[in-house]
Amino acid sequence: MNFTFHRKRITGMLVVLPENERSFSEEMKNFNFPEARSLKLKEVMGFDKRRVVEPGVCVSDLAVFGLQHLFEAGLLKREDIDALLLITQTPDHFVPPTSNIIQGRLGLKQDMLCLDISQACAGFVLGLMQAFMLLEQESIKKVVLINADVLSRKASPKDRNIYPLIGDAASIAIVERDPQDSTIHASLKMDGARAGALTIPAGGLRQPSSMETAILEDVGDNNLRAKDHLFMDGAAIFNFVQTEVPPMIEGLLAHAGVAKDGVDYFLCHQPNRFMLQKLAEKMKVPYEKMPNNVVEHFGNNSGVSIPTVIAYNLATRLLQENVRVCLAGFGAGLTWSAMLLNLGSLSFNAIIEYK
Amino acid sequence: MKSIFKNKKISAIVSVVPKEEYRFDDEFPAFKLTPEKAKRFKKMMSLDRHRIAPPDVCSSDLCQYGLEQLLKDGTLKKEEIGALVFVSQTPDYFMPPTSNVIHGKLGLGHDVICLDINQGCAGFLLGLVQAFLLLEISALPKVVLLNGDVCSKMMDKCNRISYPLTGDAGSVTVIERCEAENPIYMDIKNDGSRYKAILVPAGAFRTPATAETIKLHEVEEGVVQSEQHIHMDGAAIFNFTMNSVPAQVDETLAFSGDTRESIDWFLFHQPNPFILTQMAEKMKIPAAKLPNNIVSLYGNCSSVTIPLNIALNCGEQLREKSLRVCFSGFGVGLTWLTMVMDLGPLPVCKIVDYERA
Amino acid sequence: MDKVTFYEQLAKILDIGEVKPADVLRDFEAWDSLAALSILAMADSKYGVTIKAEEIRSVVTAEQLANLVESRQK
Repeated sequence: MNFTFHRKRITGMLVVLPENERSFSEEMKNFNFPEARSLKLKEVMGFDKRRVVEPGVCVSDLAVFGLQHLFEAGLLKREDIDALLLITQTPDHFVPPTSNIIQGRLGLKQDMLCLDISQACAGFVLGLMQAFMLLEQESIKKVVLINADVLSRKASPKDRNIYPLIGDAASIAIVERDPQDSTIHASLKMDGARAGALTIPAGGLRQPSSMETAILEDVGDNNLRAKDHLFMDGAAIFNFVQTEVPPMIEGLLAHAGVAKDGVDYFLCHQPNRFMLQKLAEKMKVPYEKMPNNVVEHFGNNSGVSIPTVIAYNLATRLLQENVRVCLAGFGAGLTWSAMLLNLGSLSFNAIIEYK
Repeated sequence: MKSIFKNKKISAIVSVVPKEEYRFDDEFPAFKLTPEKAKRFKKMMSLDRHRIAPPDVCSSDLCQYGLEQLLKDGTLKKEEIGALVFVSQTPDYFMPPTSNVIHGKLGLGHDVICLDINQGCAGFLLGLVQAFLLLEISALPKVVLLNGDVCSKMMDKCNRISYPLTGDAGSVTVIERCEAENPIYMDIKNDGSRYKAILVPAGAFRTPATAETIKLHEVEEGVVQSEQHIHMDGAAIFNFTMNSVPAQVDETLAFSGDTRESIDWFLFHQPNPFILTQMAEKMKIPAAKLPNNIVSLYGNCSSVTIPLNIALNCGEQLREKSLRVCFSGFGVGLTWLTMVMDLGPLPVCKIVDYERA
Repeated sequence: MDKVTFYEQLAKILDIGEVKPADVLRDFEAWDSLAALSILAMADSKYGVTIKAEEIRSVVTAEQLANLVESRQK
């Protein structure tokens, strides 16, 4: 379904990356694969460096760090925050919501909304839609949208498909009303029938964690994974992205009456280099218009990947200019989403490191 | 933070409870309570019985069953479902969202929005707020709000304070647009500085589940819990409830232009009858207008206490007419949310027992 | 504050005939977290004061508890 939002805009973006960097070249030795094959995988998938949190560091830590940075820099005032929206699949606790914990740690006002929504890779677009809906309420003038995940904690060290891919991060986007008569087009689709392609089988209430769910099993392709670990059916997801994302974007552009050439950038979730290259080819979008450099520097950081691709590739440009972008997020659910909007000029668009 | 929602209404509510009912009189020997202490506790908390889900039944099962009933009896059609909002603190998985799992099991269309929200006690009302926000999108037909929790799985069966008071349940609420303005007034407040009052310390990402975190500790005589269980600071919760909720109820009534007399029913979250009696007294609300019987019959089932409260105490009245109600949900977060609206008529407003497929 | 009434109310909570000022609270059979909760409720509804669980735990005798509640009334 296509949605239209009016008079809303993003006014600032911040990405918080853990300081701790891992390198594929060093970690290769842990896998049951000959080196030559691992190097080939590195090239194709874009594995190189990724950022991972230290043990004990959680989503609320990254979020609090980022918000405190904005308070100290005078870029955001505590009392202006009317809604705190946290999109994550790796909360600090089952109870209470992590957005409440962030609110408490930062001493924010009581007269506000705190909301935890469970989403990962499609989470930035979904989060923006939620923020726009909240801003329709008179009492809500400023929404802080936080996307954050620490999925590295659920990656099996013996799974070469997953372990070198996953990065941790948090992003903060400030969303407000736009005095100008702007229009944002968005699309969102879900298919729970294919939910099994991207899951963490144990840990929730369906199958609580136990000694059994921690046992590493040989899943048949020389990778070892436990039920507690993140599972990705690579082939199924590749097919899903190739099949569903291009028609969604095309449909969205048609609905908005905008030609493909009229879009300055396609800022997509960054699953891995290969998948995004193939997507660009299928959509006949030149590679330069679909930046594909997040995985090799920071890893696939879930819902933060779109903010990371924006902050990494358009850091200074968006401070001065306004560009027309098409965002696309797709993943767990399965969920796929796209959004066409003008981005910029932003008050801030930066990457900082969590220490 | 106040808001008004217009042209929205609840059109059906089904609550689903496990068939398995357990009586306090049968359970108390397991709690290490002397018969005198058991008698005192039973009296103080008006305990009688509660419903507990079997080991393999989760929040999504209870909610899915309720939704299937509404589809089966024609109250709702699949194509009318614009969004599934699942509110819980006991989801099936970290990934994928439980609403997507239910979406898949029911074979719903790709245009259905699925959202999982993490909340407990204030979760029915927060879910309604989400539904109202979604319904501003004119293309979206109806929103189905699913509330479900299996909190019994987050405590030890021998925990004499938590276990007898808890219950498992799910509910399905259909929300849609309406011609009539039907203004709905709400106030929400959050205080995360007191988040530790209701906390599950381990099992998610702050402290992952390990062999250590599953070990039981006796924190007081007969009160056994692990780090993966719900830890409740009873005194802090009591003080919070008594100090914060009455003020919010007064504010919201002033906001909507109502008085204690103009409200037909005060339908509050049901933590336990003791607290509710204190609250009714403090707020000078006649006990007859503030139902207090859910815990005695079903247990405190988190966000589902309000839907159960509606069905059990007002269901019959609501079939014929509209009632002016004041809802209040308060707890986990800490979050407290009060809402005043006209409710009904509701032709479908019931409680059913969960049946396995 | 009328302490006689206070001790009567306390005796009811502790399910006992009489409570004297010098009685040590934790010696009562019914003294547990539920009794503490009932005391919080009484402090709130009958005396209009809020006290914390830690404060109840820190007093030893019935008289100290009465004094705690009384001090909050000012």
